[in-house]
Amino acid sequence: MMKIKSLTIALLASLAMAAGFNSCSDDEETGSVANNYTIYQSAVDNKVIANKKHDKAILLVAFGSTWQNSFKAFDKTVEAYKKQFKDCDVYMSFSSAICINRAAAGEHANDKGEDKAEIRNYYAPNFWLHAFGSARYKEITVQSLQVIPGEEYSRVINYIKDFANNSLGDLNDQYLKTVTLKLGTPLLNNTDDVAKVAKTINKLCSSEAKKGVVAFMGHGNPDSYDTYKANVRYTQLEEQLQKINKNYFVGTVDMPDNYKQDVYARMKEAGFEKGNVVLYPLMSIAGDHAHNDMAGEGDEYWDAEDEESEDNSWNEYFSHKGYKVNSHMIGLLEQEEIRNLWIEHTKNPVELEDYYHSMYPED
Amino acid sequence: MKSKYTVLLFAYVASGFLITSKSQEKVETLEEVVVTGTGTEHLLRDVPVQTEIVSRKTLDSYGAKSIEDILGGLTASFSFEEGDMGSQTQLNGLGNSYILILVDGKRLHGDVGGENDLSQIDPQNIDHIEIVKGAQSALYGSDAIAGVINIITKKHHDEGVYIENTTRYGSYNDIRQHNGLGLTYGKLNSFTNFQLQHTDGWRNTTNEYTEGHVVNDSRKKTANEKTNWQIAEKLTYTVNKKSEVYASGSYHRKNILRPQDGHYPSCDVYTYDLMYKNAALSMGGKWKLKGNNTITADADWGKHAYFYNYTATTLTDGYDPLGRFTNYFPYFKGQKSLQSDQQRLLASVKGIFDLPAENKLSTGIEYRYDYLNAPMRTAEGSVDDWTGSIFVQDEFDLLSWLNVTTGLRVDKNQNFGFKATPKVNAMLSAKNFRLRLGWSQGYKTPTTKELYYRYLHVMGASTYFNMGNTDLTPQTSNYYSSSVEYRGKRLTMSVTAYLNKLENMIALVNVPVDEIPVDASSAYFGDGSGDVVARKYKNMEDARTQGIDLNTTYKICEDFTIGGNYSYLDTKAHEYEASKQKLVEVTIDGMAHHKWNAYANWGHRFGKNYKLGASLGTRGSSQRYYQNNGNGKPFQIWRLNTTHDLESSKKFTYRAEAGIDNLFNYTDTTMHPYHLGTNSPGTTFFVALSIKFKQGKNIKPTKITNSKTFNDED
Repeated sequence: MMKIKSLTIALLASLAMAAGFNSCSDDEETGSVANNYTIYQSAVDNKVIANKKHDKAILLVAFGSTWQNSFKAFDKTVEAYKKQFKDCDVYMSFSSAICINRAAAGEHANDKGEDKAEIRNYYAPNFWLHAFGSARYKEITVQSLQVIPGEEYSRVINYIKDFANNSLGDLNDQYLKTVTLKLGTPLLNNTDDVAKVAKTINKLCSSEAKKGVVAFMGHGNPDSYDTYKANVRYTQLEEQLQKINKNYFVGTVDMPDNYKQDVYARMKEAGFEKGNVVLYPLMSIAGDHAHNDMAGEGDEYWDAEDEESEDNSWNEYFSHKGYKVNSHMIGLLEQEEIRNLWIEHTKNPVELEDYYHSMYPED
Repeated sequence: MKSKYTVLLFAYVASGFLITSKSQEKVETLEEVVVTGTGTEHLLRDVPVQTEIVSRKTLDSYGAKSIEDILGGLTASFSFEEGDMGSQTQLNGLGNSYILILVDGKRLHGDVGGENDLSQIDPQNIDHIEIVKGAQSALYGSDAIAGVINIITKKHHDEGVYIENTTRYGSYNDIRQHNGLGLTYGKLNSFTNFQLQHTDGWRNTTNEYTEGHVVNDSRKKTANEKTNWQIAEKLTYTVNKKSEVYASGSYHRKNILRPQDGHYPSCDVYTYDLMYKNAALSMGGKWKLKGNNTITADADWGKHAYFYNYTATTLTDGYDPLGRFTNYFPYFKGQKSLQSDQQRLLASVKGIFDLPAENKLSTGIEYRYDYLNAPMRTAEGSVDDWTGSIFVQDEFDLLSWLNVTTGLRVDKNQNFGFKATPKVNAMLSAKNFRLRLGWSQGYKTPTTKELYYRYLHVMGASTYFNMGNTDLTPQTSNYYSSSVEYRGKRLTMSVTAYLNKLENMIALVNVPVDEIPVDASSAYFGDGSGDVVARKYKNMEDARTQGIDLNTTYKICEDFTIGGNYSYLDTKAHEYEASKQKLVEVTIDGMAHHKWNAYANWGHRFGKNYKLGASLGTRGSSQRYYQNNGNGKPFQIWRLNTTHDLESSKKFTYRAEAGIDNLFNYTDTTMHPYHLGTNSPGTTFFVALSIKFKQGKNIKPTKITNSKTFNDED
């Protein structure tokens, strides 16, 4: 029985210990991560320093994707840029953390041989820019691959400001004073761009537009995100296109009063009650929106009670309205003529002369 | 298919009646004691509040691997959708946040996505389970709007040493390990419990809809690999005949491992696993006063921490070296980050007093403090909330055949003020029949998570941004039930009809994407493979669940029992959709109209030392409905278990089990990410071996003087 007694005492002691153990901070569990940011940044820095071939860098910034066809579209874009800018190192960047994470983890991660993963490191713009600073590039051009100068574009500008202002404080100020910073604007940055894009689109689609409606589906921002009122570019693009041919329409997924039902209303008003409707995504890549919101099909998913429901695709919606619908799964970056308009923006960038001095006026 | 099963079920029930009417043989029924409905001990047949029980005998013959297995297989009111992160529980159409899960009367703590982690319950240490539906009990909180599940663990009070070990092994490397050590020395009793659960997980389909088409080599699993273990200790000290004190503690850890060999960054590539850490400490005591009067006092502390365990470099929300918020804080393989830490403190004092004229009064006060620390998932970093409650309940034997139990609970919540919720139950007894009528009000204040929590929830190719809502108001319910129960020597049968009307029901519903706050705008863009689906906790205009539950068991002879349960459910919920300016009907996720199960248990003793048992069971469900990603298919699966009990000496007993689950190999191969009816991997096999060792003298169960109750503990 003495054994039982000592065992019981031991158990009591272990309970007391368990209480102590449980009250430990979770920091112990998670360990120190304080230096992670610096470690990660150094890895990007070293990679850029090791691979630097020229004194000029071009950074292409897209929101990102996790789709294979989109990775290929971005690869093609980088190749096209390398061809056009032979004296520059070209880098591709995503601003979506989840897209960066998954592309870096890679598909077929543990497979061997031909199935082996293609690991793609689309670092976030801030990490690339800091690395460019560490590698002392003399000229850096950041090209926004956005369609409209909206919420996402404003973030691109902020990355450049942070870099120019030495926001982490560990870049050489003397270098930052001398580096040339340039910004390539989005596809539809101003009304001149709108006219050019309309002209190019018509070059690509004029034969289809002769046979019926050609409708483009852009993304657009809901009101609370339309901070820069950039949604107006979709309306302007439709106006420009209709100056060329009345059969063009431009709608969006998220811009208020410019959903598929609004496009339909405008089509009817213009007298298009039936006939062909050809759909194109007005987005840099043909991802989920193009496949599901625009071209999605399947009667089992048709919400008959609420035809305008966002669950009903453009394809289904216009088909149910009696049109003969045909969808093209091609993103804007995959159309050479349109991609060239972005390249033109890179060739004619906005010079960002005052970014450093706005932070350090006494210098 | 649905109607075929319904017909079969009714035929089975009808045959039960037929056999009863012919039978003259006397067979003893089990005299189960329940405590959940009123907090006082009652024989199951005489409990004023309708209580369902999963008895120890049923559990013994079923050979369950988990609590989900038990409740899903042995009752018709529950359903589980076992997803890759854990299971989602439903009781009569309402989810886990409306179900109060108690272990020996103590609330199970901590949730992920509103779901309690049921792996904290050791299936091998369950004595029996009591289920009280609706907010009928004043004692455990009116927030149990769907009901209360009270898991009563096994008790070991014998003098000396008690050691037990159960090891269960099944397909997909399913390991369940249970070890118990009981020690009683004089007035001190100690019980130490260790449990381990592991499965490699499985994959029902390699098809997944992603990137605009169906891929046929997705490596996403239907159930992920997981391992959890728990150690628990309870010390009880009997001070004297009238008082007893206890202290207990437990520590639980769980890891969910996701596939690391994914093909597609759009759907089956993961960069982190999930980890949970639970700890609990309790202490309290019980004092017997004059007569049957007792006072109990309890204090509990619980912690539930949830971590990401990174398997590859992952950028996520955090702070850069200068302390500024960034969407790109990197974590490296092997590092962890805290997602949420829920802590709770509960203190209560309760008393049970015999009053004159056949009245029994239960009364008590409770204090509850909730703390949620979620640095990246709440705008403020951490939030807290407290509720104080007082309750009173009177059980009154008005007439020899009429008991009326009334209760009132008053809650005072820090944010939502006072609310009183009354409960009335009446039980009419006539020989073997009991007619029970009940009306109870429920009240549930929004949880800290429902108010403040927000996070990006990535499920393969689908991305959701789930948001708390500080404009929520408390939910209230009116639960009406009536039941008729017959308890004969052979046949027991009950039919219960219920209507649960909820006002301001809180549900996570799809909302326009611009409801995502601008400061969380990275979430708005989702993962780039598709738009994020914005979901927010909202008060529904109204919601109701109504249905009929039918439970029956029939003891054909001493060795052979058959039983079955059927549950019919209908739900309706409405929400005002501002953009359409109209009320729209909202699906309560996971609702199925018909659920059923049936079993036949046979057990026979051969000689003195050997007992053989066999159990054949089936369970099924009609289609389950969901807001997003399709409906779950109807299913019916069968299960066979055999048990072999061997007593080699007074000290040692052995038990072996072998069984087959999903006999006819039904597998729901619906592609990801659509909902499954059941995630069963098809036919699985399992074996289990238990060894029990006992040294010391047996202590007879304590008689309780109340004529209607006795203590059935071992």
